[in-house]
This record gives sequence, structure tokens and C-alpha cells, in this order.
Amino acid sequence: MTAFGIEFVPRDLYWKTTFYAIQAEKTGFNTLWITDHFNNRNVYVSLAIISAYTDKIRLGPGVTNPYLIHPIVTGQAVSTLNEIAPGRVVCGIGVGDRTTLHMVDVQPSKPLSTIRESVEIIRGISSGRKMKMEGKVFTILGGKLNFKVETKIPIFIGAQGPKMLALAAEIGDGVLINASHPKDIERAMMFIEKGVIKAGKKLEDLDIAAYTSFSVANKLEDAAKAVKPVVAYIVAGCPESILGKHGISMETATKIRQAIVEGNWKEAFSYITEEMVEAFSICGTPEMVVEKISRLVKVGTTQIVAGSPIGPNIRKSINTIAAEVFPQFMSKEEIEGD
Amino acid sequence: MALEKIARRIPSSSWEVTSERLIDIVLNSKHANKMPSGLAKTILYYWQRDQLASEIGLQRLLEASLHIDPEKTIEALKELGLQELVTVLESH
Repeated sequence: MTAFGIEFVPRDLYWKTTFYAIQAEKTGFNTLWITDHFNNRNVYVSLAIISAYTDKIRLGPGVTNPYLIHPIVTGQAVSTLNEIAPGRVVCGIGVGDRTTLHMVDVQPSKPLSTIRESVEIIRGISSGRKMKMEGKVFTILGGKLNFKVETKIPIFIGAQGPKMLALAAEIGDGVLINASHPKDIERAMMFIEKGVIKAGKKLEDLDIAAYTSFSVANKLEDAAKAVKPVVAYIVAGCPESILGKHGISMETATKIRQAIVEGNWKEAFSYITEEMVEAFSICGTPEMVVEKISRLVKVGTTQIVAGSPIGPNIRKSINTIAAEVFPQFMSKEEIEGD
Repeated sequence: MALEKIARRIPSSSWEVTSERLIDIVLNSKHANKMPSGLAKTILYYWQRDQLASEIGLQRLLEASLHIDPEKTIEALKELGLQELVTVLESH
């Protein structure tokens, strides 16, 4: 079965994001991810209110990062959230968005060690254990939560490069592959398989999500217009190895990032080509989107995350996904969550 | 006349379509930030329970859309053929 997740960026008023979250639950989405950037509404405040107004959808940060938030605080936060929404919480963690980290002059240094130790800390603290760690990045002299966490919280790791993909598969319960193109997912699967073998796990035990930029509308041009700003952010933060595979120069990506940092949105978006939209998003009419998702499923994804912007009108696009995309991949019972 | 009494003039056959229109106004308005937080939470409460197309849900939606965008709300009610409602609202 292919599960569908949805991502919201809490740039909008809290009650609008919550409204769409309720809609996502009602229409059959399985997991809800809220992004974590300092310049949008706080991820955990957003998740707390969403969890109060929903009943069954899984939810969590997608993704938080250990450079702005110490993983022990992340462990505390998701454990607290689990009290409001028992058994529904997931935790997505990754190195973070390069552009917004750059805005506060934070460098995502030692990414592999940082993520490995962060996952250990989050797992440890949320399991009720007293944490003690002397790592390459984090030191914890001793501490535990003063409350019990009743259920295990699955940890998903956001990854794009080969080593992080392998690490995500090795230590995570799920991988959030930051990619929308089947070529990139297929490549990612090679490294995921390495990680799974190293951990002595089975591939079937891992939830492998294509964390896509998504835009669906009845007209392609409407969907494309909505997705361009998000593609700009993606290109701006993309590693050179991935850009190169899609024929995009690092120079162009740097120009886009600089324009975004300076707030020159028109200039940033002017660099975005049709080829970039094709490479870095699932964008189009319902039929086009179904075809693209089919290709992602064929190469091994178990979850498709419909990420920002969803479409030119979020409410309409969620309904379109439910009516025209879900039935191609899920049974009626699976959609209704029975 | 209190808004509750005004909202009761919406015939039950029009509850669903009126609810949809008012939700669109509330979500898409440029003035959405005018929504009082308490009213927003009430609407979310009813949405969670599938009651936005009920009498009480409509009352809250009408309150919200009139607060956020009275002109668009009146226009929508006219398009829905709810002239009696429009007359009462315009006289207040």
C-alpha cells in the first residue's frame, strides 16, 4: 500500500493551517508534517494545536534540525506532543534548510555525526532512560524526562546525499528522501539498501518517503505558477551532486540562494525553468501527477509526501488529491482509515 | 436581530452550499487576519466534528465571514439566492 503524507509550512495563520490539517485527515492522508524554519510559526506550537483538533492522522516535525534546536529539546517536544496525541507522533529530523540556517549564520557542520547522535538522544530521552552521552558533537552528563512517554516515537531522517541516505536507513524508522524525480529516488534507494544491510534490517521494515514539492491543479500553468517559489528554495539548498545530474549549475543555485536571502523574490523566481520544476516537484494536472507518483512507487517509495505548495488553492488541491489521486493507489477502506 | 436568528433563515437545503461558500471567503480573504482567535477555534471545533454545514456551524461561519469580509459575504449570499437574509443583514 502506498501511504500519503502532507506537509504544511506554518507561514499561514495558525487556524488556516489547522483547518487544512483537519481536511487532510478527513480526506485520507496518513501523516502530516509541519516544517521547521525560524521565520515561520513555531513547529511545535503548530503541531500542538493541530493535534488537539485531529483524531487519527500521524503528525510531527518535517523536519526539525539539531543546529537550531538541541535534540534533547526535540526529544522533550515530541514526547510532550505524544501526550496530546498518543501513538500518533512521528519525528522528522535532518540537517535543515541551508538558506534559513545561512540567514542566522549557522553552518550545518559534521552532519553525519550530528544526526546520528541526535537520533540517539531523541530515542534515549523519549524512552524514559536517563541519558548520558559523550559524543563527537553532543555531551549529556545525565538527564531524563520527568514524565513517562507511553508509546515509541518513530524517527524519520531527512536525507539527500549518499552518506546521509545510508545513515537514515541504518538508524531511522523511516527515510524522508528530499526528492521528487524517480531518477533521484532510484539513486537514493541504492544508498538506502546499503544502510539497511549495515543495520541487519529488512528493507520492508523501513518507511521510505518521497518528500516532494507538490502542486496539482486542473491547468498545468496554474500548478506550475504555484510551485515555482518552492522549487527556488529547493534549488537554492540542493547539493552540487544532485544539481549536476539535472544539468543545473552551482552558480545558478548560489544566485538563487543569494536573492532569497536578500529578499529579492522576483529575481530568485526568474531563474526557475520548466526543467527545474520537472526535476524538483510533482506538478501538473491530476493525470500528470498520478503518472509521476506511479513512477515513484515503482522505484520503491512507500509514502508520498505532498509537500508545499500542494496547489494554487490548498483546499481545492487537497480535495483534488483525495478525489483523483488516492483512488489510483489506495482502496476505499485504506482511504477511510478503516 | 441576533446573528443566530438571522442564520436560522438559511433553508436547510442550502446549508451545505452556503457553508462551502462561507468557508472559501474565510480562507481566501485578504483580511483573514481579522478573524478573532476564539471564533477561529470554535469553527475548528465544528469542522473537526463535521458540523460546519449544520445550523450552529453556519452561524459561526456567517459571523466569521461578515467580520472578515462583509461585502464578499453579502455578494455570496445574493448569488445563493438568500435575498431575505441579505435584506435583514443590510438593515442592521
